[in-house]
Amino acid sequence: MKNRVWIIIFSAVLLVCLGAWIFITNFNFSTNIVGIYQDNKLIKTIDLNSVTEETEIHLNSEKGENTILVSNGHIRMKSADCPDKVCVKHGDLVESGTPIICLPHKVIIQFENPQSDVDAVAGAK
Amino acid sequence: MKILQKFGILTVLAVMINLSACNMDSNYSSEFFCMDTPMSITAYGSNSENAVNEAKDKIIELDGLLAVDKKSSEVHILNRDKSLKGSKDIINLVKRSKEISEQTKGAFDITTSPLTELWGFRTYLQKKVPTENEINNALKSVSSNNIQINKDKITLENNASVDFGGIAKGYASGKVKEIFEKNNIQSGLISLGGNVRAIGKKPDGSNWTVGIADPDNTTEQIGVLSVNDTAVITSGGYQRNFTEKGKTYHHIIDPKSGYPADSGLKSVTVVSKDDTLADALSTALFVMGLEKAVDFFKGSGLDFGAVFITDNDEIFITDNLNNSFTAEKSFEVIAK
Repeated sequence: MKNRVWIIIFSAVLLVCLGAWIFITNFNFSTNIVGIYQDNKLIKTIDLNSVTEETEIHLNSEKGENTILVSNGHIRMKSADCPDKVCVKHGDLVESGTPIICLPHKVIIQFENPQSDVDAVAGAK
Repeated sequence: MKILQKFGILTVLAVMINLSACNMDSNYSSEFFCMDTPMSITAYGSNSENAVNEAKDKIIELDGLLAVDKKSSEVHILNRDKSLKGSKDIINLVKRSKEISEQTKGAFDITTSPLTELWGFRTYLQKKVPTENEINNALKSVSSNNIQINKDKITLENNASVDFGGIAKGYASGKVKEIFEKNNIQSGLISLGGNVRAIGKKPDGSNWTVGIADPDNTTEQIGVLSVNDTAVITSGGYQRNFTEKGKTYHHIIDPKSGYPADSGLKSVTVVSKDDTLADALSTALFVMGLEKAVDFFKGSGLDFGAVFITDNDEIFITDNLNNSFTAEKSFEVIAK
């Protein structure tokens, strides 16, 4: 009788372990959460899937102005008064690509948990 | 052994495997802006937070020494006074820069600073095409022979000035690697503004995958390298550039001509365990162009691999990367 109780307890622990193992190794932590950073600080996160209408986000700092355009599933730098406009030319943020970066204004737009095919991207900056 | 004991041991083992799986994924990351570029440092393991914070502090310290626009930086004082009793880091960097300049026959040169400024390739300057006269004047002070080192004293001759933009991030990632080793970090990934450094292998024992940005569309990758314990550093003219009268000018200045290097390449990626070398060589090989870069690969005796993307979108890789590089497009292998 006592043995049966232990076997039930061990079986339950084994099942929990198996479940946890499957969760850890297979669960897809996929997300569409994007973070907007200014001067090394996270200033806003947006779930692109929950955006229902096109919205503009205006960032002002002593370095300059940036306007970010957000719509369902999409985010891009619409305009910036920086000299090179690399951030505007970048277009839409995509998970497989590099973050949108406005170097002169120290603004970064990136996926919070990117599901990229690669671990990092080497590129010119 | 009783069946109950066997079952008990099995359960304990399962719990331990689960705990190790959780521990394997324990990591600490930091993302921040430094050296005019976004950076990200990730370490895996029990001491990851200490290692990452120490690494971040070191990079901020290096930026404080090497930022040309910071009046308190050693490089600013050196350029202003033409003489400096330098810290260990700046002495190391100057020595290494001179050495690589000699090895690359001047294709890499930290004395191009006046030219970079003339073209406006600083975040605080407006970019413009200088006159030929301005370029010729600036070229007079460009040569690593104008830098003298005597113990911890650096002297700049012929009104030379320096900047470490082509080597500082590589030196910094090498320092991060040393800090990770000291903190017993076996696995980590560093990206200092697109300069990637793999520490060991991934926590699951597989290689890190590092994409090489497509110069024509940086949201895509032109190929992927499978690497461990090495630096992967790209130089290219496709990010920092400007167009004037229909012509595009990029930021990698040829120390010999004073103009943006027009060498037929869109980007060069260098793979090496020596981070400082990888950073400087990516610039030097870009300036050299494919033909001279191939000769350099064959004859320099230095330990590195490279991926070249030409203006015609052809891909060339050195033969030591043959087993680690994959691409959807065809590519040619350069034998040593």
